[in-house]
Amino acid sequence: MSKPELWVIAERRLDHVEPTTQQLITKAKSLASDQFKVVTILLEATADHLENELTAYGPDEIRIVRDDRFPTATDAEHADALKQLVDAYQPNSILFGATITGRSIAPRLQAKLQTGLTADCLDLRFDDETLVATKPSYGDNIMCEIICPNHRPQMASVRPNTFVATPATGDATITTATVTFHPVDRLKVTTARPVVNTATTVGDASRVVALGRGAASAATIDTATKLAEKLGGRIGVSRPLTDQDRFTHDDQIGQSGNTIHPELILNFGISGAVQYLVGMQDSQTIVAVNSDSHAPIFDVADYGYVGDAQAFMSALLAQFN
Amino acid sequence: MKIVVCIKQVPETNDVTIDPVTHNLDRRGLAGVMNPFDKNAVEQALQLKDTDSDAEVVLLSMGPDDYAESLREGMAMGADAGVLLSDRAFAGADTLATGYVIAQAIKQIGDVDLVLFGRQAVDADTGQVGPIVAEFLHQPQITYAASLRLSGANEVTAERLLEDTKQTLVATLPAVVSVRSELNTPRYPTPRNIQLSFAKPLTIWHHDDLDLDDSRLGQAGSPTIVTKVYAPEPVKRELTPLTGTPTEAASQLIKALKTRQLI
Repeated sequence: MSKPELWVIAERRLDHVEPTTQQLITKAKSLASDQFKVVTILLEATADHLENELTAYGPDEIRIVRDDRFPTATDAEHADALKQLVDAYQPNSILFGATITGRSIAPRLQAKLQTGLTADCLDLRFDDETLVATKPSYGDNIMCEIICPNHRPQMASVRPNTFVATPATGDATITTATVTFHPVDRLKVTTARPVVNTATTVGDASRVVALGRGAASAATIDTATKLAEKLGGRIGVSRPLTDQDRFTHDDQIGQSGNTIHPELILNFGISGAVQYLVGMQDSQTIVAVNSDSHAPIFDVADYGYVGDAQAFMSALLAQFN
Repeated sequence: MKIVVCIKQVPETNDVTIDPVTHNLDRRGLAGVMNPFDKNAVEQALQLKDTDSDAEVVLLSMGPDDYAESLREGMAMGADAGVLLSDRAFAGADTLATGYVIAQAIKQIGDVDLVLFGRQAVDADTGQVGPIVAEFLHQPQITYAASLRLSGANEVTAERLLEDTKQTLVATLPAVVSVRSELNTPRYPTPRNIQLSFAKPLTIWHHDDLDLDDSRLGQAGSPTIVTKVYAPEPVKRELTPLTGTPTEAASQLIKALKTRQLI
């Protein structure tokens, strides 16, 4: 008997694959061991070859459906195509990235299939063939483990950057499948244009360059502004810098300011007082640069450099350029 | 034009704790309020009503009788009527079973042109019920709308912000739209509107008031089960030191951020 299939739904981001797809393939492979077959489902235009960005991550199979309408298809049209594939192949489980697109298509598919979907998961595991999904609630204050014991497929969406994508060996079999594209005329995408990061507050930004007392000179702030632009992010500050005219309480990170959890935060010249740390320690990747090797910020950091903030920042910016 | 806004009542604070003995959420003493994101949906409906004075705004919620509180709150903002779906048979519903009852209620309300949702509830954080209802009603959906306006007799135009793209979408009504919190600032109830709200109809529908398939209700109609609830451990991090000159250290960091697909 063939192995049950564990699906990762590939998502497009402009002309590329959205990185969460690759992260999910790596995670799916580690969950699958010999028990499941990891299949990436890719809906793309006839001239597209997004599979070239997926093979290196080693799914067992990349199953492609081609139709020139997919790149601009609406949620309901995507869900309809996926429903046809589910009916044809009967996967055990389906994983989506919990991006805006993933969080819009997945529940629509869930309703078609009348099965369970756990949203925005931070961890996944299998108990035998039952998917156990860990989902935060109450603004990440509570974790819930959720299962869907009696319905198949089991569905989950996973928060971007929860897992790290790792290239893997193994040749993915590339196959094609067909579905009937059912256009929904009542909804049209009339324009679509790329946007750079539009975060208006430090709480909205997915990348934050945070400055503290040790990175407060005009020159450093100037370099930090350029770095934030390169990253598509925003500047945030610790309490002392709110005394400067150019920063306000809205820019402040910490207990008396904003609690943030961006996917990346670079801390420059911030020692890491408790009231600062509580406002940012749930960030996904934390980098700290400080001249004091005993600064508490290093206790919560993933990457740390002991040295001059301005010098490091300039070197980083130069290499970005 | 008839607009239904689906709202949820949530605890006043997200600062919930776990009972160490029962491992259940300790919700004692937590007052209920309207989900803050839903207020943006109510505001959006009221703004559409401002441009079309014939529009009628009906609030719809599912939950115990005390959920009437947040329906009253929305009517004090200016909504015309409230409908509460309250029955023991609905209890324990996950997103699928909730979406089913709400979709059936929208059919029952009848002639609904537009259904609005907030982006997600601040307690469960799923954002699933809007698309589920859209599917059950066989209607187009626009999720995470950053703006919404009537652009024709029977048509709405919305902007939708994806991670990297801004889309403009045009939907023929009826349609389901969920809105981002950035699109407006919800109005406060004025004393006059609060006073007027007491005369507005608040209807409670029980199981028998709706056309329902009992196998799709409550716990029995919910595919998912919560097996464990716990407070998260603080994230344990292992510090990777960056070493050498600033240039060397910066290049180590760039490599690491590339591995993590952050750049």
